[in-house]
Amino acid sequence: MSRRSAIGQLLYTLAAAALVALAATVKTDGYVANVLMQAATYAIAVFGLSIVLGLCGQINLAQAAFFALGAYSVALGTVDYHMPFWLCLVGGMGLAFAAGAGLGLTTLRLGGHYLAMVTISFQQILTVVLINAIRFTHGPDGVSSIPRPTGFTSGQAFLALVVAILAISGYLVWRLADTRLGRAMRAVRDNELAASANGIDVFRTKLIAFALAALLGGLGGGLFAGGFSYISPDQFAFADSIVLMTMALLGGAGSPIGSAIGTGLLILIPEWLRFLKSVPGLYLAVYGLAVILIVVFMPDGIWGYVSKLFRAPGRAPSKPPEPLALRPLDSGTPTALEVRGLSKNFGGLKAVDGVDLQVRRGGVHALIGPNGSGKTTMLNVVTGLYRATAGAIFVDGVDVTTLPAHKRTVAGLARTFQNIRLFRSMTALENVVVGAERDGNALIEGGRDALWRRALSALDFVGLGHRANETIPSFSYGHQRLIEIARALAANPTVLLLDEPAAGLNLSEKKSLHGLLGRIAAQGLTILLIDHDMTLIAGAARHVTVLNFGRRIADGETAEVLRQPDVAAAYLGVSNDAA
Amino acid sequence: MSLNRRSVNIGLAASLVAPVFSRAARAADTIKIGMVLPVTGPAADVGRYALTGAKLALARVNKSGGVLGRPLELITEDDQTTNPGAVLAFSKLAAQPDIVAFLGSVRSTQNHAMANDILKTGKPVCFGGTDPKLTKMGNPWFIRFRPNDTYSARVIASYGIETLGKKTWTLVHSTDAFGTSANNLLAAAIEKLGAKVVIDQGYPNQSQDFTPVVLAIKSSGADVMGSYMTFENDQAIFARQLRQLGVSIPWVGSPTTVATATLKLAGPALWGTYAVADFAVDSSPEAKEFAKLYSAVSKAPPDLQSAWPYDAIGVLSAAINKAGSTDPGKIRDTILSTKGYKGAEGEYNFDQFGDGLHGYNIVRNNKGTIVFDKHIEFKD
Amino acid sequence: MGFFLQLLFSGVGIGAVYALVALGFVLIFRATSVVNFAQGEFSMVAAYLMVVFAVDLGWPYWLAFLISIAGMALLGAIFNLTVYYPLRNRTFLPVLISTIGASIFLSNSVLALYGPQPQVLPGWLDTLGFQLGPVYLDSQYLIIIGVTLALVAFQYWLFERTLIGKKLQATSQDKEMATLLGIPVAAMIMVTFVYSAVLGGIAGILVAPALFVSIQMGSTIALKAFAATIIGGFGDVAGAILGGFAIGVIETFGAAYISVPFKDAFAFLALILFLIVRPQGIFGERVAEKA
Repeated sequence: MSRRSAIGQLLYTLAAAALVALAATVKTDGYVANVLMQAATYAIAVFGLSIVLGLCGQINLAQAAFFALGAYSVALGTVDYHMPFWLCLVGGMGLAFAAGAGLGLTTLRLGGHYLAMVTISFQQILTVVLINAIRFTHGPDGVSSIPRPTGFTSGQAFLALVVAILAISGYLVWRLADTRLGRAMRAVRDNELAASANGIDVFRTKLIAFALAALLGGLGGGLFAGGFSYISPDQFAFADSIVLMTMALLGGAGSPIGSAIGTGLLILIPEWLRFLKSVPGLYLAVYGLAVILIVVFMPDGIWGYVSKLFRAPGRAPSKPPEPLALRPLDSGTPTALEVRGLSKNFGGLKAVDGVDLQVRRGGVHALIGPNGSGKTTMLNVVTGLYRATAGAIFVDGVDVTTLPAHKRTVAGLARTFQNIRLFRSMTALENVVVGAERDGNALIEGGRDALWRRALSALDFVGLGHRANETIPSFSYGHQRLIEIARALAANPTVLLLDEPAAGLNLSEKKSLHGLLGRIAAQGLTILLIDHDMTLIAGAARHVTVLNFGRRIADGETAEVLRQPDVAAAYLGVSNDAA
Repeated sequence: MSLNRRSVNIGLAASLVAPVFSRAARAADTIKIGMVLPVTGPAADVGRYALTGAKLALARVNKSGGVLGRPLELITEDDQTTNPGAVLAFSKLAAQPDIVAFLGSVRSTQNHAMANDILKTGKPVCFGGTDPKLTKMGNPWFIRFRPNDTYSARVIASYGIETLGKKTWTLVHSTDAFGTSANNLLAAAIEKLGAKVVIDQGYPNQSQDFTPVVLAIKSSGADVMGSYMTFENDQAIFARQLRQLGVSIPWVGSPTTVATATLKLAGPALWGTYAVADFAVDSSPEAKEFAKLYSAVSKAPPDLQSAWPYDAIGVLSAAINKAGSTDPGKIRDTILSTKGYKGAEGEYNFDQFGDGLHGYNIVRNNKGTIVFDKHIEFKD
Repeated sequence: MGFFLQLLFSGVGIGAVYALVALGFVLIFRATSVVNFAQGEFSMVAAYLMVVFAVDLGWPYWLAFLISIAGMALLGAIFNLTVYYPLRNRTFLPVLISTIGASIFLSNSVLALYGPQPQVLPGWLDTLGFQLGPVYLDSQYLIIIGVTLALVAFQYWLFERTLIGKKLQATSQDKEMATLLGIPVAAMIMVTFVYSAVLGGIAGILVAPALFVSIQMGSTIALKAFAATIIGGFGDVAGAILGGFAIGVIETFGAAYISVPFKDAFAFLALILFLIVRPQGIFGERVAEKA
């Protein structure tokens, strides 16, 4: 895998160098130069969108506002305050970054439509300010005669500069996807809850994505100001944010290549369609229609569509994996997980009502009860997805009651979900890596190699090591379940919480699961298991706790508890058949 | 949908190359004038009028023998009513070496945006934007075919104060480039004539409701109003709400006040108002003749949008013929030395900066008909 | 005092316009979780239809109105089938973009077919308005306020007192459950889009005599109506109405007492403040995601 990416990076560098050389030497007429200048500066802004929208899945309809912040910083800084170009450009980027961060801080917790509206509002407010704060911004007249930096004053040289910056930022954005931060962003995009449960600080990740997008927007804007020498507020309106967004989607928001394609096309298409100029509105109508068609038929954009066609199926890894090391924390307390007086209310509904639970270290402990008894809610409170209304939670003796979900992985919790929550755009191995790279994982010290080796080991432990490089949709439901378990194991947890792992499995898959649980327990891990399959429970679990209507009605060794009459009445039914 | 990388790449390459081929295919025996105009975007209707006016002039010139014995041809490009669009349109035209001169935009910000490319191209650009700065920037190729806003401001002030005898002004203006800068000029002109501005109200374009503005005017005690409004629908809504709330002070407005579209929308609300108009049908025999030609090809009445391109083509052709050459420097010098050219907009006396007109007409809305009142001209 | 009352009337008047458009917005959102960026264009298209039938062809006003509304119903149906239905199982973002594309397509198609000139549409009443004490009441705005309130009442009756209203509510709250209960979800969604388009159309036809018929008339209103739905609480119908009136009043008073040029900023500033302080709006409830 690393050899392929090394070749890819080399090719990219060569292509980029060639482009810059071309831009610097080939003489083009003013028209082509202007088109290229506009395309290149917009493309940088669209790269920003490919981070926040493509990688992280968050909507940003204010990219033109960040573009404006960069452009105005350069324009006003150089023209009014006679500061050097580079200083103004960096200042503009910083300003855009701060604005993006500030905007994100206030509303990223809301997400979805709310985020869309806030970004739109920010955009509108900025437009009004740019137009009306005349003494500062020159108002609607705009700022003209914006100088270029020394050494790059000719159109040709400046274009070459912009292309070079484009190539560098494209490279950084491309490589971002494979870094820990990039993986975190993709995880947040694919499945926020799972990301959180696997140690990713979702809010911080979104915030960084947002701020980086704004930064690139500011960079593009600053270069735009230098390129066209004249800016005015009407070039940075809501409509322009829409154009940038459409460029990202058209090409494929997930990658810089897609962004470049989308930008190029959306600048060139109106130029191509100049022949339709005789009927006003016709080519914009066609444009609007094209947007709908692209979204419907090519959801991943042109590049996404194209790259899927050419994607090579994942090859099996060449080196044999090492055996998986599991070293759960052990502070000496008898219980790996303890819950005292836990309650969770939803409005008037008491989903969990004063439950006590002691899960002894090592072995499998089951939590059972009829549907609606509060099992999953309890699991969600323990793992931090919900906040407890009352009570306390201790993992290996550490009080985690008020910790956010992503910090509980550090304490040693890991879980799987009732509805499988894998990161569908990633390979099996990448999914497991996300689990492994949680903060404080002592078993991945030694850098990138150690991380990937551990992930492969975990995948191999559940029997899927040979399919590490395939993407999730190619796995059966049962295998996806196993990958989720591998992801949890890679984090070297102290307590593993499994929410209905047997759901949807056929008989032979259940038998394998049973065996797997045994192998996990044999390494000293503690497992808390929720399930309805009584054969599995009776076979695997040594201890059982029973919930009904949010309260604990039984707790103890499995065989005894299953014989109790109120357990039978609540859950098992009158005869002793498997549920 | 079998779009693949190859076809996309071919398409991209073709687009960059296409202009080269289209250029080669053009006829080589006409004199070409390039025209940047809005075909799409919010100002698309303005573009249509401008094209009609330019084409009328073209037909006229070609009927009397053309320029230097060759017919005149107009090559147009859409500026999409945006600044980057104008730059792209102009640079596309400028890439054709056989275009001898250009018609620029009626919007000043677009002219500003194109300024660098115009300087680089080094050929005359006849434009209709009214921002006074455009001819004072040191760019020798800008030649203006409408009176700039220093004149419209001074004419409004002069008419209100000296002709109507009113000294307490309220000003209403759009907060865009045109409205803001013209309004500043008007305020200065009023002050210079010794009168007072008691209230100055800016509003954002597409406001939809002007109640706050009207109420402020009503309670200001002003006895005369001056306005610079960009969009017809804003002007019409404002006028209507003004009348509803009982304000009837004399009103001298910018040219939109008597634009065809505004009159249709506002109806009786604008009766009795005055406006500065660079084009007025009854202001001269030439204007009447232009109006007659225009009404033969279009149902809409002619206005400034069509008149200035008409004059620009007229002056350009005359200058090229007089200079006897298509050399840009010679064309420019000849135009700038043109005096007493009677066009549809008025009599052109070009000064060293490139401004051809130095005055405005005052017209009055007499129950829906626009009536010429007087012409106020300045020597400087 | 007269000053204040006049401003109040103007604010409520323009607020009623926002409320009407917001109503259509909210309905589509509740049924499909789609934010419809083309809602403003529904108003614009209906206004142009009225111009064609009532002004250009000279047909009687009521007839032109009925035909325009029928046209809007048809547009709503086509919109559902082409813009929403193919994307119904995807996340909200592709649908949002698709509606943006539809908005561009609709406004430019009208531009291509009709031309860019703003048009006049006469109002329902011949009298333009009348003076009531210190306040001038524009008759078109009175009609707008009246019709908005009537439609809100009708909506309440429809949703709370009729079976189809209950079915629509069920569909909007839980599509899967509704299907299991035998409610034809696709048909309910179709009804929602058709009804929203009709509502948007009525808004456009009501507003046109006051604000004139132009290509951009829809988008200027829609963005503010959008803000109104959030201030009111994104899922709630009563909230959208209240939010619309609130924005109209905030904007008008902000313009009069603070600054006219910054008028447009006030609505969005109010929106951001609401989102920070009370994100669920005046009425809305946040629904937690099931783990």
